[in-house]
Amino acid sequence: MFSSLASLLTFLAIAPLLQGVATRTKSALTGRRGPPVLQPYADLWKLARRGTVVSATTTWIFRLVPPAVAACAVIAATLLPLDGHAALLRFSGDAIAFVYLLALGRFLLALAALDTGSSFEGMGASREVTVAAFVEMGFFVVLGVLSLATGELSLTGMLTGTTGDRLWSAAPSLVMVVLGLFALLLAESARVPVDDPATHLELTMIHEVMVLDQSGPDLALVLFASAAKFAAYAAILVSLLVPRSSMPWPLALGVLVAGLTGVAVAVGVVESTMARLRLPKVPLYLAGATALAGFGLVLLLR
Amino acid sequence: MRWFFAGLGLLAVAASSCVVLRRRRVADRVFLALVGAGCALAGVPAVAVLLRGVSVQQRWRSGGPGGDWVVGIDPLSAMFLVTILGVGFADAWFGVADLAPARARRRTWFTHATFALVLAVMALVVTAQSVVLFLCAWELMAIGSYVLIVTEHEHAAVRRAGLLYLVVTHAGTLALFAMFAVWGRASGDWTFAALSASPSGLAGGGAAAVFLLALVGFGGKAGLVPLHFWLPPAHAAAPSHVSALMSGVVIKTGIYGLLRVVVLAGAPPGWWGWTVLGLGVASAVLGVLWALVQHDVKRLLAYHSVENIGIILMGAGVGALGARYGHPVVAVLGYGAAVLHTLNHALFKSVLFLGAGAVYRATGTRNVEALGALARRMPLTWLAFLVGAAAIIGVPPLNGFVSEWLVYQGLFRAGQSGETLRLAVLAAPALALVGGLALACFAKVAGVVFLGKARSAAAASAREAGAGTLVPGFALVLACVVIGAFPAFVVPPVLTVGRFVAGATGERAGAGLAAVLADVLAGAQRLSLVAAGLVVLGAAFWVARALLLRGRSVRADETWGCGYARPTARMQYTASSFVAPLVRVFGSLAGVQEHRGATVFHTVPADLVLDRAVLPMWARVQRLALRLRPMQQGRLHVYLMYVVATLLALLAYLIVSSAT
Repeated sequence: MFSSLASLLTFLAIAPLLQGVATRTKSALTGRRGPPVLQPYADLWKLARRGTVVSATTTWIFRLVPPAVAACAVIAATLLPLDGHAALLRFSGDAIAFVYLLALGRFLLALAALDTGSSFEGMGASREVTVAAFVEMGFFVVLGVLSLATGELSLTGMLTGTTGDRLWSAAPSLVMVVLGLFALLLAESARVPVDDPATHLELTMIHEVMVLDQSGPDLALVLFASAAKFAAYAAILVSLLVPRSSMPWPLALGVLVAGLTGVAVAVGVVESTMARLRLPKVPLYLAGATALAGFGLVLLLR
Repeated sequence: MRWFFAGLGLLAVAASSCVVLRRRRVADRVFLALVGAGCALAGVPAVAVLLRGVSVQQRWRSGGPGGDWVVGIDPLSAMFLVTILGVGFADAWFGVADLAPARARRRTWFTHATFALVLAVMALVVTAQSVVLFLCAWELMAIGSYVLIVTEHEHAAVRRAGLLYLVVTHAGTLALFAMFAVWGRASGDWTFAALSASPSGLAGGGAAAVFLLALVGFGGKAGLVPLHFWLPPAHAAAPSHVSALMSGVVIKTGIYGLLRVVVLAGAPPGWWGWTVLGLGVASAVLGVLWALVQHDVKRLLAYHSVENIGIILMGAGVGALGARYGHPVVAVLGYGAAVLHTLNHALFKSVLFLGAGAVYRATGTRNVEALGALARRMPLTWLAFLVGAAAIIGVPPLNGFVSEWLVYQGLFRAGQSGETLRLAVLAAPALALVGGLALACFAKVAGVVFLGKARSAAAASAREAGAGTLVPGFALVLACVVIGAFPAFVVPPVLTVGRFVAGATGERAGAGLAAVLADVLAGAQRLSLVAAGLVVLGAAFWVARALLLRGRSVRADETWGCGYARPTARMQYTASSFVAPLVRVFGSLAGVQEHRGATVFHTVPADLVLDRAVLPMWARVQRLALRLRPMQQGRLHVYLMYVVATLLALLAYLIVSSAT
């Protein structure tokens, strides 16, 4: 219990760091110095101390959404076995709850976007829900592989314990699932090749144009939620690659932090070596990622 | 059972009170009180059966053909009874308030009377345990529904939708007659118990015929693809509270029928389970896709019924497969998920239809592109609609999530079973896609109808609905929230029903089943923790936000438009544009025509099955029939010639056959 809670707090604390690491990697690889690794924290701190401008078109839901979205992301993270042994909250079928909690956050963000009456934000919400529908499908293929390989229905069961070893006996499937999951992670956390966090033209954005009218502490909460969501997907990836159930929990946590940083570096590498796709190509990319995980599923079903 | 019949009696009295009191002011109140008392009384034995798990039955000796008339309540009936009576009463309440202003102009008393009768007859459908009584109730329900659909029969579109409904429902009833005829041809009398006890009716090809005909007859009523095409026009044409009843409750009798056949005939053959699962996936995906492109709120909601019937059938299909391949866990979870989603869909679909009805009453339009900003004008309707929308897309902490969670568990546990059954896990990603598309669809509806700026004068001057229409809606909202936040209260009775349908009761169940179901129940309890966590943490972040903003400037200004300072309502994203990326992905499957111009983009939806298959086929049948027209001369001597020719032909046949 204590180890789970401590891990969760550490996890939430370092979540913004990952975006800093990704940005820094990208800068280094493209021959620039780039902002410091801790820049996301500075941004959050700056936003938290600002006032806010709220569109006169909006209603209560616009103000309700940022806290609610942050709550969704944090509760989803409580379902992850971050200390390598057990999640703070675990039950049979919590993997399904994980996906749908993130879906609730997305639904609310889309509503807040439409609440402003802005064509930009409507556009962003439209693209976000389109991408998310396919990401969810792909993620359930991944869950299918994990549940078949381990015989479990909770994230704790799928990602830890002796069942983790059973997962390794399904190694060929696991390789495909890891690759597919990484591709889905890029889409879900609005990175290249699906979305570009560094773009400055509203018409080309997906996630960021959806939150164009949020400002001050509201924007800080939304950014924090995005960071936590990115870190949550990355944590699943790390747990798959490095079985940590035999480690004492502080070591397991250290491995997790190192692994998360590694994923962030990988994201930075992808961003500096790839261009983003044209929007109509994005569903094809997601179909490819889903198919990759699907092959893993077929291997287990044969 | 006495309570049950007293309740049905009160519903009949409620109907006759409408006829007696007609347009008097007191009529509405008397009617509502009687319907409420009737539903409550009839619901008492149903709740008792669910809690105690002991079935009750009443039998009348009958000398007539068809044998005894039997009415009984077992767990399956009880679950559907609770749905029918609870949601039915809320819809009746809304209907009374909604139609009250039109009392002087229209025969609203007639609508109310029919509504109460349909409720009573539906209660009979799910409790009848002999064939003749069941088919009588089934037909009365179909005809009563038709009468309700054509309430506004002065419009040609309404009459057309009613006719389409009538044709399809009778075709379905024909399939049911055939099904019972095949099944009961060897059994002594026509009670369900006799059908169940005499396996000879199912020998040979009998089982295949029975299950196939059940799928056509009951599936058509439920609205599964491709037999769904009557549903959107009919549900859009009816008054809102009737749409809510039709979409939420009446089509569920089809699900009841399928499950009843499973109970009576035992574990269905493997192909049937796969077919039901496959049709469930097809209905869910296509239903939500077609809903996405609708601009008429009620048609959109009707297509979502097709989607949700698909989800229910996915549960029923995987349940059937679990029973067939000897995995009671999968069977119980699948069937349990199906009946829980039946209840949940009735609840949130009624909320949504009642919300759409209130919007229609306030603005006079059902076209989402002409609405907007109603959250300011109708805050309570918006709140109810928002909860309903969150429930239908299946996010926690609402009831839709609980039943979809059970469906997923059934599918995943099927995958873990390690037999042919494991292929059922492939339906899980499809269900996830359905969830994602439903999310897109309700972000569109909620956003375009209730948020942003008003797109028309009617939307800008809308008024909040009256208390009479809000109270029943909020009662249903409360049920959605309670089931979602405290699923541990509904999951045990639901699993009891699942065990009943799967035949996994008592000693046949085994210890493994009990352990897994305890695991599921523990999960359901933890879902309450998730809900509590969301509320507490959300509130904490809210407080943090408020504290951070204390003493700082909170300014209201125009929406950011890249520096453009005079945004108008026409600059908002439209519903057509919102779903355009998804429509592009699915291409012609979405069945829309796009209209593009320099300044316009809008889409016109068509029903792929009705407009591209059924109506063209019908036109061809008509052309063929016209070709036979010359036979009908209308002159007596021609007909006499036909008679004589037939007689001669028969004589010739007789001579030839006796000669050989």
